[in-house]
Amino acid sequence: MIKPITDFVKQFNASFSWDERLIVWKKNRYFLITGNMKRLLNEGFFYVGTYLGKVKSEQFFPSFSLLQMVSEQQTNKVYVDRKSAWLFICGRDIFKRGIVRAKGAKGEGSYTLVLNEYEECLGFGRIVCDLDMAEGGVAVKNISDVGDFLRRERR
Amino acid sequence: MLMSGREFFLNRYRELGWKHEQPKLRQAIRINTANTGREDLIKRLKSLGIKLEKVSFVEDGYWICEAKFSVGVTSEYLLGLYSIQEAAAQIPATLFSELKGKIVLDACAAPGGKTVQLADLMQNTGAIIALDVDKRRTIALTNHLERCRVKNAIVYQLDARQASRLGLKFDCILLDVPCSGNFAADDDWFARRTIEDVERNAKVQKEILTEAVNVLRDDGELVYATCSLEPEEDELNIDWAVKNLALETEKIGCYGREALTSVFGKRLDGSVANGRRMWPGRTQGFFVCKFRKCEAE
Repeated sequence: MIKPITDFVKQFNASFSWDERLIVWKKNRYFLITGNMKRLLNEGFFYVGTYLGKVKSEQFFPSFSLLQMVSEQQTNKVYVDRKSAWLFICGRDIFKRGIVRAKGAKGEGSYTLVLNEYEECLGFGRIVCDLDMAEGGVAVKNISDVGDFLRRERR
Repeated sequence: MLMSGREFFLNRYRELGWKHEQPKLRQAIRINTANTGREDLIKRLKSLGIKLEKVSFVEDGYWICEAKFSVGVTSEYLLGLYSIQEAAAQIPATLFSELKGKIVLDACAAPGGKTVQLADLMQNTGAIIALDVDKRRTIALTNHLERCRVKNAIVYQLDARQASRLGLKFDCILLDVPCSGNFAADDDWFARRTIEDVERNAKVQKEILTEAVNVLRDDGELVYATCSLEPEEDELNIDWAVKNLALETEKIGCYGREALTSVFGKRLDGSVANGRRMWPGRTQGFFVCKFRKCEAE
């Protein structure tokens, strides 16, 4: 049942050993709950515990809580400066010069989390050049960022 | 006689002992201490040009004194480190005596400011059952929970008057009931509201109170709150509740004035005075009262 999630986190070289009984599925959305919550849960719930993400058109869209959980592991991540962090949450890509340091996979095509100076996960993107070799230009294409919370309100 | 309009309502407030003054509302935030340290966040916001001043009557509340841009667009906000929450609205959730590990009902939860605050006070232990009847508002509630990384909430799209359908008993219940609002938070309020609206809301509020008592365990705590200044939705409902439901009011020492025990010539139960009425001023208009459920004999 949780294959879409495990496949997704693998792309960041991360893994989780969740008790599958504590992951619940509602329509196309996954949630992580506690044993106590499971006892209280009625079938008609709308949302519960920690939202992990949803499957749409066979593609998994992670929640920011899941991305934060992934970022707490040894995984692919880039740390960006303050200006780049701001531009990223406005939906923009990350330029090479905005990356302060990188961990994990750095090659073109890899997925990476984007973290700010406080090591908070702002979202994720796809690396579009070799981070060790590139001298400038766009380095990480924005796929999803926390600015989405504001964009949802405007929809 | 016209039962609406600015003069009609201001006359009522005068009769209740309040002289209209233009409120000086200030935006407030509440730090989500489950996600960040107070001092760290204050420092971070200061570095962005956002100056804060402590709200004296709520532990994690801060007034916005100066901000170069909206406090609703910072990465700190998007990461759930704080919520934008009116200062008086930060009071109700703090009135429960103990929340950690409890089963709590937030019966009219959207848009979720108080639900997130409850989760923060509970340190994500126990469980919050959050209800809202409207789908669009329920979605807004879940976005708020997700942004603030709340882990202990179960949300249902359900009318608070049908809470017993869940088959649960609650240790604590927060009733931030739908109400007529007040002019301080809405420029068109006087033009839009009539006494019929107030009476209709008061009736729904009584129905919600009745259902809440059905699902509250004996000796459990219930906090009732409105942002209405109309006594039909405040003191008169409290008076009705202590006379008709298995509830007794409890003293609370929060900001605000003692609730009224005489309303338009009607003498109310003395225990209604345990509620607190906040006339608009530093905060918007607000009313709050804490109850305990009497144990069955």
